[in-house]
Amino acid sequence: MEFAATVVILTCTYALLAAGVVILYKAARVVNFAHGELAIVGGYVFYSASVLGSDSLWLAIAGALVFSIIMGVTIYMSMLRRLVGEPLHVTILITIGIGIVLKSAILIIWRAERLTIDVGVAPALRLSGGASLSYMDLASVAVTVLFFLALYLFLTFTRMGIQFRGTAENALLASQRGVNVDFVLALAWIIAVIAASLSGVFFGSRAFLSTESVTIGLAGLIAALVGGLDSLRGAVAGAFIVAGTQYLTVRLIDPVLSETVPFLLLLLVMSIRPWGLFGTLEELDRV
Amino acid sequence: MPMPDILLEVRQLEVVYHRVATAIQGVSLDVESGSIVALVGTNGAGKTTTLRAISGFLQSEDAEITDGEIRFAGERINGRRPHELARAGIILVPEREKVFATLTVKENLQFAAREGGAMTLEGVLDYFPALAHRQGQLAGYLSGGEKQMLAIGMALLCRPTLLLIDELSLGLAPIVIRQLMEQLARVSRDLGFTVLLVEQNANAALAVSHYGYVMEGGRIVFSGKASELISHPDVREFYLGGAREAESKSYREIKQYRRKRRWWG
Amino acid sequence: MSRNPYTLRTSYLEGNEVLRRPYQKVLVGLILAVALVVPTAASTYFVHLLDLCLLSAIGALGLMLLTGYCGQISLGHAAFLAVGAYTTVILNTHVGAPFTIVVPAAALFGGLLGFIVGLPSLRFRGVYLAISTLAMHYAIIFLATKYQAEFGPSATAGMTIPDPSFGSFVLSGDRPWYYFLLAVVTLTTVGCMNLVRTRPGRAWMAIRDRDIAAQALGINLARYKLLAFVISSMLASISGSLLAYFSNVVTVEKYTLDLAIVYLAMIIVGGMGSILGALLGAIFITLLPFGIDALFGYLPRSWRFGSTLFGVQAGAVGICIIFFLLFEPKGLAEIWCRLETYFERWPFRYRPLDTARR
Repeated sequence: MEFAATVVILTCTYALLAAGVVILYKAARVVNFAHGELAIVGGYVFYSASVLGSDSLWLAIAGALVFSIIMGVTIYMSMLRRLVGEPLHVTILITIGIGIVLKSAILIIWRAERLTIDVGVAPALRLSGGASLSYMDLASVAVTVLFFLALYLFLTFTRMGIQFRGTAENALLASQRGVNVDFVLALAWIIAVIAASLSGVFFGSRAFLSTESVTIGLAGLIAALVGGLDSLRGAVAGAFIVAGTQYLTVRLIDPVLSETVPFLLLLLVMSIRPWGLFGTLEELDRV
Repeated sequence: MPMPDILLEVRQLEVVYHRVATAIQGVSLDVESGSIVALVGTNGAGKTTTLRAISGFLQSEDAEITDGEIRFAGERINGRRPHELARAGIILVPEREKVFATLTVKENLQFAAREGGAMTLEGVLDYFPALAHRQGQLAGYLSGGEKQMLAIGMALLCRPTLLLIDELSLGLAPIVIRQLMEQLARVSRDLGFTVLLVEQNANAALAVSHYGYVMEGGRIVFSGKASELISHPDVREFYLGGAREAESKSYREIKQYRRKRRWWG
Repeated sequence: MSRNPYTLRTSYLEGNEVLRRPYQKVLVGLILAVALVVPTAASTYFVHLLDLCLLSAIGALGLMLLTGYCGQISLGHAAFLAVGAYTTVILNTHVGAPFTIVVPAAALFGGLLGFIVGLPSLRFRGVYLAISTLAMHYAIIFLATKYQAEFGPSATAGMTIPDPSFGSFVLSGDRPWYYFLLAVVTLTTVGCMNLVRTRPGRAWMAIRDRDIAAQALGINLARYKLLAFVISSMLASISGSLLAYFSNVVTVEKYTLDLAIVYLAMIIVGGMGSILGALLGAIFITLLPFGIDALFGYLPRSWRFGSTLFGVQAGAVGICIIFFLLFEPKGLAEIWCRLETYFERWPFRYRPLDTARR
């Protein structure tokens, strides 16, 4: 039972991160290496906002939300917008640069403290086998499910969702058909950063926030790649596989391997099905 | 003061790529409201550049309008952004990648649809019955002609005042070209919008248009009523395949030569 | 040094000349002379910094060949430094091999691993390749961690290496190291320069610019990509081995992903596709944290938190990456070229065509 609970919650964390990676890749052709940093900084902002607002949950949520929106718009408008049409490796390198800056912000602003977010961590549900789920854990599962459902409905049924997908494919044509591409891409960044912040908050309440925990971004990236870089379904599947493998490795083999094993898993997937479980083959040639 | 029935007015346009290469120089053309105008010429004549300048696509190509102006419905539109121009009614059907390959045909049309347009989604399917059967399919799997129909259909849904079409004939069979051109002429008559056709296939383009411009080396070298152009000996010789291959020279060279001859008597 | 884009060339052979102008020869001679004289005048601390610059220059040159010329992004450069360092440790503690055997062995082993890490490049491009090199990084670092935990005195303290000796001469101290490293860097630079202006270099650049077109021109993609990986990792491995000897201690904590990114920063700041850029970038990025440290000395005491300093030092690298990618994508090498052109043309000016903005 404890295994199931941990894996499910870790899956939620990774799935949100992977969803952000997939959205950014689909909409903006950017593979974001700064996703873990964005997540953890989002978690720190949530923590600080809740401390400043004397443990108010709503203020913390508002703080993290405002941070995500500002961050998403800033990153897009000030940096990625200028790099439209540049080769992919330039965008990879610039997100790596963004990641470093965010990580140093953790060092400067929060002094690299190890923090645990404690909003509603009281055990809400006791499971057989001594495991328990806190309200936060339940909330993280519910929020993740809601997030994916909303995203699916948005992309499939709304006109804006269709415009979003079209812009992702061919921004030039989309702008010719009267779509403000800047708006769509900034929105993609906002959604991705919100997803990242959510996962940062969940991770921070389950484990801890620190400069080391930014490696969850790599796990999210791997989850996205395992599932297929252009597939939201794949993001969930990939997240589950990565989380499960990681948990089993830590439990059964060696905790030191926990950072390495997702990569080994990825190498395995890449040698059998390089475009990922749900991805499309054509994407391989594009990146 | 522009004439009220001139929809698009290009005056002395000059475009420079990468700050060094001048693509077009002193191009002037008028597009009358409600007409079909053809802009023909060989590769590298500057047709596409002119079109990009009109539809605001130069920035993404690292090119710049260095001189001249473009007026649309009496309003200066140099350097406006593409989506603003699109909302104003200047709709471009590009040369390639003209449909969203990963969306279905229906989604492609939904993408473009605007409220309150003269054209509805169903209307487009009426004009192009071939699309109606394929609504649920991904646009990437359509044939070349169907893609072109879809592209034009999308453009129609965007409430065009001025439709710019780049190389309608590219990669299509002659019979399909003729059908498409005729369909286009019919739609434009029915809905009352203006068309600027940019074509290498001068015969097909001039057959449906009212007025024509011939470009070469970044300049306009001929203009006139389409029916006159099509029978003009020089146009026939240089652009409609009248010249024998071995002696084919550019029109400007010949013109210089003739001018000299006149001068020397 | 690097191809100046502002120079008019009238034949292909001219493009192959290294130092075209007489003054360039004088300049290079002058720089070498200054480099030879500096340690006699400068403080030991400064010479130590220069040593670090030279050490990272070797690694940066390796990465420049791979990423700057062949266009293959590698996030595994730190792992190759680790390979060099750990080969050194193993050969020293278990075999007791001398310096003259250890360094070539490190290069050989690094090249071998580079070959393996390069294999995915035959199938993947871009992100997938970057991720696969990252995977290799974690795999190699995991092995190094395991080794250190098994054989080291403790998992964290690291392992010591004696100073290298040639017969009775022991290489120790910053100044002797400086001359030794200067010789190594000069040799490496000349070697790389010749590599990139001959067939492999042209093949790499063709692959970087469009791999399919390169293949159509008859370039064996697999062979040249792997060659780039092998040479790059050999250089990194040599750099890692020398660094191990230089600092006398090897610990696995040093070889993080951040170190690989620092090396990427070097070639971005220096300018992709330029040997001169690799050198300039290595010097710039190596000195950057020390410069910030020095600047922090002027700040009021209450501001000087340890974590703030680390944060600013790390953040500066990130800001450099972003700044150069956005505003000066060809890096310091391009600035150098512009300066060169400015003085060459003086009092005339060369400017790109200024089109009338309206």
